[in-house]
Amino acid sequence: MNGTKADPGRRAFIRPGIIAALVVLLCLLLLLAIGIGSSWLSPERVLRALLGDGERMDQVIVHTLRLPRALLAAEAGVCLALAGALLQRATRNPLASPSVVGVVDGAAVGVVLFLWLFSNEANALTVSIDFQPVAAAIGAVVFAAIVGLLTWLDDGGPMRLIIYGVAIAALASAIVTLLIILGPVYRASQALIWLAGSVHQAHWDDVVTLAGLLAMSLPLLVLVPRVMDQFLLDDDTAAATGLAVGVMRALLLLIAVYLTASAVSFVGGIAFVGLIAPHVARLILGQTAGPYLVGSALIGAIIVLASDIVARVILAPLELPTGAVTALVGAPYFLFILVRRGRSHA
Amino acid sequence: MPGHDRDARGALVIASLLTVLALLALASLHLGLRHYAPWQVFDAVFGDGQGADALIIRTLRLPRTVNALIVGAALAVSGLLMQSATRNPLAAPGVLGVNAGAALAVVLGLAAFGIASLSALAGLAALGAVGATALVFGIALSAGSSFSPVHVLLAGVTVAALLASFTQIVLVTDESTMESLLFWLAGGFADRPLMLLAIAAPFIGIAFLAVIPMTRALDALMTDDASAQALGVPVVRIRLTALGLAAILAGLSVSVAGPVVFIGLIAPHIARRLGVRGHAQMVPAAALVGATLAVAADIAARYVVSPGEAPVGAVLALIGVPVLVVLLRSRRMALQRR
Repeated sequence: MNGTKADPGRRAFIRPGIIAALVVLLCLLLLLAIGIGSSWLSPERVLRALLGDGERMDQVIVHTLRLPRALLAAEAGVCLALAGALLQRATRNPLASPSVVGVVDGAAVGVVLFLWLFSNEANALTVSIDFQPVAAAIGAVVFAAIVGLLTWLDDGGPMRLIIYGVAIAALASAIVTLLIILGPVYRASQALIWLAGSVHQAHWDDVVTLAGLLAMSLPLLVLVPRVMDQFLLDDDTAAATGLAVGVMRALLLLIAVYLTASAVSFVGGIAFVGLIAPHVARLILGQTAGPYLVGSALIGAIIVLASDIVARVILAPLELPTGAVTALVGAPYFLFILVRRGRSHA
Repeated sequence: MPGHDRDARGALVIASLLTVLALLALASLHLGLRHYAPWQVFDAVFGDGQGADALIIRTLRLPRTVNALIVGAALAVSGLLMQSATRNPLAAPGVLGVNAGAALAVVLGLAAFGIASLSALAGLAALGAVGATALVFGIALSAGSSFSPVHVLLAGVTVAALLASFTQIVLVTDESTMESLLFWLAGGFADRPLMLLAIAAPFIGIAFLAVIPMTRALDALMTDDASAQALGVPVVRIRLTALGLAAILAGLSVSVAGPVVFIGLIAPHIARRLGVRGHAQMVPAAALVGATLAVAADIAARYVVSPGEAPVGAVLALIGVPVLVVLLRSRRMALQRR
């Protein structure tokens, strides 16, 4: 935790500027994400289409195809990054992230089980596909609960959470493999695409629902910064400042699981965003919870949006899973933190 | 416990493991989608039984059983070597990105270079496995001695994620590769060409033989580096040799059976729980436990999604994860070495 070397006064002065810069960057990326595709739209045409007075064709492309995709990517990034920030602070573990605590694989079990249970002989779903996110959320919550329960029974500290997360994730992915084989072949490829993490099937319904889920967590998120600042202290000191450590930790973890489940159920396993975004936010904005959360959210959105652009461009016309791109950036970064931590403890 | 009592106990455990393994291997020939009577099996294996049944037993049941025996033993010894050399109870080929490395190498070979010969692909898998192991341990060693078992595990999981995302990218660009590789990527003992085993088995045997003279040194290594050094053990050399052998064994296993997880992790622990001490007995005991687990999982794989065939890797994860959780809870493994 050596991200706060600048003196506090200067930092308070710079902070609004950094956040404004992040917002500008996010807006530019949104314009770019909407502009890039099989037909390139210049930022001017994008803006005019967004404002409703562009050409008919541009409007269709922007409003039905590219805008929902870009927005869904940004929202997912916000959710995952916030979840990561909460997890890392609550467990005081910079290696914690939504994908390592079993939530993502749990959601996958939910989805595959859903596709298997509700397919008839003709491989058609017997219920609306709209229920898939619900199944994902249930799976995520169940497996997160198992990890949480094991950690709680063990009482062995934050590192335990991660190790149980890894173990339970392995179990979940084995179940997914078995279910994919049991299920209809046609569904298997659908499930695999979802598992890889992608925003390419974004609809306005998804965008609105995820925004709603995110909005529902806002009241809680507004309340947590004070608690999160107390978590910067060690448990005993934090308790002395009047913090109900256990309860508040559980609360932060619950919000994190809720946010992850929401995002994962729509976009699948986009890994490492929840890990990196909070780190970057801490490096450039410091530890104070308010700016840290806002920064994490913005950076998360930027990362997913940028990764999605890369995923579409790099092997065009083929599209990579967005999750593969975030993993390519995120995994080396994770290893870097791991090694640096190992060294600093020596 | 006095030394000879302990040795006697170890010998007893090994003898019982041998019995269990022999029974399971026999059962493996009889059980499956079709059940056979003992005389049918005997006829097919030793006699000159003709017809479909004998064919099934000789060309399907027997090869998969032998595959499971050898690969299970190799994985278990590989896991034991990794755990002893790094003094890390969580080290094992499956957790350390070995499988992901092998998968990436195979997928690349198939998609990018159009390599289709089986033996070449097997060689690639072995190379990828060794490469991934080297990468993970390189990262772990570069972080210094404070790198706890859990950190190594996390590094392995992350390297696996990284390699898997590369694999994913290759598969996206070439969907036909994905279809032909999907089952291989899941790991299993059935329908593997015997030729692969014929190539790999001698090397596995040589690796086993190479472990035998190292057992005393490995015992000494289990204390700590300074004591081992004082006992005259060339610590660095032994450690690197053990890790190298472990990587080779894992690589050979992957090339025969695809990624099979958890045997390397849990077999040594089970052997230890059975009361075996000292590497002279741990090596055979772990190998037997590994072979037993593999054959048992292979039999189970025929039934869990019957009439289909489950990937052994998934079956093993169903058994392995609960065992891992129990291990984590009971051993209270040191998370941060101080």
